[in-house]
Amino acid sequence: MQTLLVLVIFPGGLSVLALGMAYEWFDRKLLARLQNRLGPRWFQPLADTIKLLAKEEVMPESVNPYLFVGLPVVALAGAMTAALYVPLLGLPPAYGFVGDLIVTIYLLCLLTLCMGLAGANTLDRFSLIGATRTLTQLFSYEAPFLLALLGPALVAGSWQIGDITAYAEQHLLLVTQPIGFVVAIIGLMGKLELPPFDAPTAKTEIVAGAMTEYSGRGLALFHLGKGVELVVGLTLVAAFYLGSIANPLDFFAKTLGLLLIVVGVQALLTRLRIEQTVGLWWRYGALLVLVQLLVHIVWEVAA
Amino acid sequence: MAHQPESFLHKIADGLKTWARINSPWAIHFNSGSCNGCDIEILATLTPRYDLERFGLKLQGSPRHADVLIVTGPVTRQARDRLVRIYEQMPEPKFVVAVGSCALSGGVFHDCYNVAGGIDAVIPVNAYIPGCPPRPEAIIDGVAKLLGSLKAPAPTPAAANEQRD
Repeated sequence: MQTLLVLVIFPGGLSVLALGMAYEWFDRKLLARLQNRLGPRWFQPLADTIKLLAKEEVMPESVNPYLFVGLPVVALAGAMTAALYVPLLGLPPAYGFVGDLIVTIYLLCLLTLCMGLAGANTLDRFSLIGATRTLTQLFSYEAPFLLALLGPALVAGSWQIGDITAYAEQHLLLVTQPIGFVVAIIGLMGKLELPPFDAPTAKTEIVAGAMTEYSGRGLALFHLGKGVELVVGLTLVAAFYLGSIANPLDFFAKTLGLLLIVVGVQALLTRLRIEQTVGLWWRYGALLVLVQLLVHIVWEVAA
Repeated sequence: MAHQPESFLHKIADGLKTWARINSPWAIHFNSGSCNGCDIEILATLTPRYDLERFGLKLQGSPRHADVLIVTGPVTRQARDRLVRIYEQMPEPKFVVAVGSCALSGGVFHDCYNVAGGIDAVIPVNAYIPGCPPRPEAIIDGVAKLLGSLKAPAPTPAAANEQRD
C-alpha cells in the first residue's frame, strides 16, 4: 500500500510530473524575463500537456507501430523512475541501494536514447538527421557529465546517492571541486538539449528533429519526460555540489539558483553546430574533468 | 452536429479540452507566394516587443506539432499543392488564419492567371486578418478573436463553409 502511494502520488508519479511542469514554467518565464518580455502564464505547461493529450495522433505509414507508441512511454517511465532515487524536495530518496548513482544516470540516458530511437523509427529525413544528432550528442556529453558526478562519489567513497549527499552535507564540494561543478552544470545543459546545445532540435534546420512526426499523446509524454529530466538533473547537481538538500525550502532555493545559471547561459549563447558540440565536449569537457580527478588523486596520495 | 456532452464527466472533459486548446495554440507559418511583407509583420509579432508567448502561442517547426496554420500570400499555382499537403499533415483540431489582403481575396493579384485567389479557395479558413501588411496589433487582434470564438462549441471549418454557401 505504501509502495503504491510512493509510486503514484509522492515522491514518484503525480508529484514529480507536477514538479516537472513547474520547473519548465520557471525555465520559460526566466528566459522570457531575460529577453525583456512577459513570458507564459503559470498554467502554461499544464495547458500544453492537456492540449497535446487531446490531439489526434497521426501514425506514419512505414513505422513499427509498437515502437512508435511504446517509445514515449518507456522514455517517461525511465525519467520518473530516476526520480525515485534522488532527494526530491529535500526528503531522503524513496529507494536506495549501492550503485544507484549509475542506475539513475542510465535512466536519464534512457530518455534521450528513446528520443533518438523514435526519430530513427519514423524514417523521415528530418527525424533521421535529428536522431543522428541526438545520439551523437549523447555520446559526447555523457562521459564528462558522468565523470563530473563521479568526483563527489570518489571523495565520499560510495556509489550510493544517499551516502554521497550525506558526505556533501559536511563538505561544500562547490569549493573543493569547482571544475567538476562547472562541467556538471554545463553537462546538464547538454543532457537537456538546451541552447547552446540544442542542435538535435534545431527548428530552423531540421524542422523538429527526432520528434517531427510525433503529435498528440507521444509528444505529450516526451514533453513531460523532458520536464522530469530537468528536475532530476538539477536535484542531482544541487545535492552533490551545493551541500546536500536539507528541507523543501532549501531544495527550491538551490535548484532555482542552478536554474538561474542555466537560463542565463541559455539566453546568452547561440546554438553550436553538432561538430562544435562534440569537439567542445571531447576536448575541453573531458580534459577539465580529468584534471579535476587528477587533482583529487594527487591530493589523496599526498595526504 | 457537434457531439452533445452526455454526462457531467463528459462536460468536464470537454470543458478542460477547450480550455487547453484556447490557452495553448501552437502555430506554424506558411508563405504561399506572398511578397514577404506580411511574413515580416508576423515575425515582428513574435519578437519580444509584442510577445505572443504570453498567450501560449509558440512557433513550431513541424506541421504535426501545430494547431494553427498562419498563411500569407495569394496561393500561387506552384504553392497550391504544398499548402494543401501542409494543411492535411496537421492533426485535428486545426485552425487556419489568413493574414493580409492577398490571402483574403488575392489582393493586388486578384484574377491573375497564376493565383488561386485567396486561401479559402484552397483550404477552409477560420480567421481573416486584412491589411497590406496588417500591423502586429491587428495580427494579435485576429488571433485573439480566433481564440475567443473557440469558447463557444465551434463547428468544424468544413461545416462552417457549408453553412456559408
